[in-house]
Amino acid sequence: MLSREEEMEVLGKLGLTKVTSRRGFLKLGAAAGVSVAAVSAFGGIVKAAGFNASTSGLVIMTNAKGMILADPTRCVGCRRCELACTEFNDGKSQPSIARVQVGRNYNFGPKGMQGSFWSGEGEFGDFRIVQDTCKQCPHPVPCATACPQGAIVADAETGARVVDSSKCIGCGLCTGACPWEMIHVDPDTHKATKCFLCGECASACPTGALRMVPWRDTTKNTPPRQAAMKVIGAGSVQQACAPCHVKPQ
Amino acid sequence: MATYGGWTGKTLRVNLSTGKITVEDTIERYKDYLGGTGLGYKVLWDEVPAGTKAFDEANKIIFGVGPLTGTGAPSGGRVSITAISPTPWPVELVATGHMGGHWGAELKFAGWDNVIIEGKADKPVWLSIVDDKVEIKDASQIWGNGIYRATQQILEEIGPEGHVAAIGQAGENLVRMSVVMNDMSHSAGAGMGAVMGSKNLKAIGVRGTGAVRIAADKAEWRDYIKYIISIMGANNSHAVPSTPQPWAEYYNPGSRWLARKGLFWGAANPPIETGECSAYDVNRIGFRSFLGVMYLGPLAERFTVRQGGCHSCPIRCMTHMNVPSVQEKWGVNGYAANTCGGWGARSFFKSFPDGSQGMSSIEAAVLGSKLADDYGVWNNYGLMQSDLVYAYYRGYVKAKLGKKEYDSYDWKKYEAGDPGFLMDLYKRIAYKDGELGTMLAEGSGRMAEKWGFGQDYFTDHDIVYWKMGHPKHHSAEDAGQVGVLINMMYNRDPQCHSHTNLVRNGLPLKVQKQIAEKLFGSGDAVDAVNNYTPMNRYKAVFAKWSLLRKELDDSLTLCNWMYPFSGSPLKERGYVGDDDLESKLYSLATGDQKSKEEMDLLAERIFNLHRALTIRDWGTKEMRALHDTAPEWIFEWPPDKAPFTPGHYKMDRGDIELAKNMLYTELGWDGATGAPTRYTYERLGLKDVADKLEASGLL
Repeated sequence: MLSREEEMEVLGKLGLTKVTSRRGFLKLGAAAGVSVAAVSAFGGIVKAAGFNASTSGLVIMTNAKGMILADPTRCVGCRRCELACTEFNDGKSQPSIARVQVGRNYNFGPKGMQGSFWSGEGEFGDFRIVQDTCKQCPHPVPCATACPQGAIVADAETGARVVDSSKCIGCGLCTGACPWEMIHVDPDTHKATKCFLCGECASACPTGALRMVPWRDTTKNTPPRQAAMKVIGAGSVQQACAPCHVKPQ
Repeated sequence: MATYGGWTGKTLRVNLSTGKITVEDTIERYKDYLGGTGLGYKVLWDEVPAGTKAFDEANKIIFGVGPLTGTGAPSGGRVSITAISPTPWPVELVATGHMGGHWGAELKFAGWDNVIIEGKADKPVWLSIVDDKVEIKDASQIWGNGIYRATQQILEEIGPEGHVAAIGQAGENLVRMSVVMNDMSHSAGAGMGAVMGSKNLKAIGVRGTGAVRIAADKAEWRDYIKYIISIMGANNSHAVPSTPQPWAEYYNPGSRWLARKGLFWGAANPPIETGECSAYDVNRIGFRSFLGVMYLGPLAERFTVRQGGCHSCPIRCMTHMNVPSVQEKWGVNGYAANTCGGWGARSFFKSFPDGSQGMSSIEAAVLGSKLADDYGVWNNYGLMQSDLVYAYYRGYVKAKLGKKEYDSYDWKKYEAGDPGFLMDLYKRIAYKDGELGTMLAEGSGRMAEKWGFGQDYFTDHDIVYWKMGHPKHHSAEDAGQVGVLINMMYNRDPQCHSHTNLVRNGLPLKVQKQIAEKLFGSGDAVDAVNNYTPMNRYKAVFAKWSLLRKELDDSLTLCNWMYPFSGSPLKERGYVGDDDLESKLYSLATGDQKSKEEMDLLAERIFNLHRALTIRDWGTKEMRALHDTAPEWIFEWPPDKAPFTPGHYKMDRGDIELAKNMLYTELGWDGATGAPTRYTYERLGLKDVADKLEASGLL
């Protein structure tokens, strides 16, 4: 386990402290769940593969540098994370499009109502409240791959999978592609919106139950919320996939 | 018309008699009353005829939230439910029930500022609000069920993310001592459950996906929210930890800031240490207020899963426990959540075999809270428990119940302190089963009247009866004359915490006096708890400020269990809070710029409207003699001590009369009657109220 200082050092090496310190995010929780060695090794892989987040084009091959990690045992269900996310970024309070989702799990947990009270999670179950956060998926990134506009790209600085609003047309195909329902279309702007690692949610958490940590792959061990559509959005994306995924005729 | 942030702009009106659903413009009709209690009083004044009784079809019940509900304004998750209440005794008068949870925020996200319910359905119904789709639905399959089951049935229809405010069997059966409940354990008392029941309204289920817009620049809003959280203390704005901690200059064992090294959420998996929560670590603020161990003793630590509470509040005052033996012994699920009074079923028993902080006490607290929250029974801030203890041990129960009914209770179990007794008791209260169940359901005043309780019931300090069928709530034992005055002003226990948030914040008296000097003009406004000095003008200023901020908070809505922030845990601020938070939050969220003084004037209008409603519906302006009363025990207990003896809260009769004079002067009320004067009504923009009262001879 890393101390807070060590965690900050790691995030610093990954270029994430610029974001976090700008946002007053220096008071992180206790320790990250990854080792320095693993991060270093991962960094080496990225470098060796020669990918650059800013030039990844239509198909995102690089991993994000950070992620928001949730600890449900510490979650107290206040939903200040949802408020910070939408108020500080969008100027309105709107949990339904928040880039961190707690309210939908508040009553019964991610599985919803299980036929009776007390048998599941949440306020009406064993009190466990699960915070859903964006996994910043590794390749293939479902939301990005599904976008017919190529509007979901890796941020040059952090590698976060972000929506380029100038390209987004609000079609919502991405919302059906994310197995964890972590991307939404804002009904006011008609643009898709998803986590871009600003860290506001973690900064707002009164129990340190959300933390910005170096990225690791949590897609394999988090049950999906929906049977996601496997969408390949645009012809150009399909072409980009072909060299690796289509056998030469 | 200008558009504002904060409010959604739409108020929902549902007439259950006609089935008509209408939409009103919040800004146009109610902006000057903000929302919450302000809007509730306004609707009752304008629309409900004088003298209407709680269960009359003409009564209306208003679910009020405000411009700050659903925003990130810290501790903004409250709902104020206002109606002519069945609990004030001997006259049914205006009162409010208050609940937190997530229902109020969800209502805003659905696009509604308030819900006004009028009329009476001819058969059981529930109200479905899914964004702008509002429907009155048949509740025949839900009626008769407890709140948990009813909530589940409704969430099956509107979706598991929704929030439901429902009544249990108690509300259906017009039990005066009943609640409206949301999110499992957030209840609003004062008989609001029975008012819903009288209208055949089982529940209001809400699902909202929309937005509450913030008028201010988002960076400015962010900075202000962060600032507020940086100066917050613990529950009830307690400003120091309860144990010595390296970062803290002061500590106070009475503080609700209970987190410390070695204190765990013991039933979390894995257990989580609350630890030292420095005032500067805003990412640990949610660990500070571990009230379970304060109320239930150290054993509660082992059963605590986590803390919880309301939407948007970083102060998690509600202890969530799992006590498996409750399930094993009585078949009632052992997951229970409550903050303070909700654990009070223990007090039905005089003692427990294993002491006041043993396992039986915890089981009684958990079992009682689950039963009360499912049946929807209100404990009248603990007075219901005192009533049973008094009636049983003074022989009233035996004398008033027929032999058959008396023998049908297991009194051996009761005397032995067996929590299982509650299984029988709560059911009989909820169904008004028999004489005892009916009387406890009717509430303290009506029970005392019908059974002819002795004078000792009203004068015994242990029973804590205050007036009008209700108990004390932060009275002389917290704030001397200020507490007494505040407890006189409402038709139920006052639900005001502005004063106790200062005098009980744990800071040394000299610091509290410095704060009081800033807020009220002199440090003489506050005394050490239970070491009181005679009345002075500054105490009247303190009392007025407390009352007005209570109404302001209940209208905006902000939690009056935290606001107003008189103190703060920050040494560099001289431990001074910020008196301007309500007005600044309001201005930023809505875009309607108002100063603290302007907001206090709005609050004063709201408070005076409550007074006018009380006068109108009681049909008398003799408030000083009939309404603003205090129980004998504050003047008589202990018998061998003089008033103002250190270590006691004994008050002096002449001094309290002086206190009333001074408060009336501050409020601009007539000294002889305690009624607001025409000048005061007009100063507050309530000329029409004065005119109507004058026409009825009540001015």
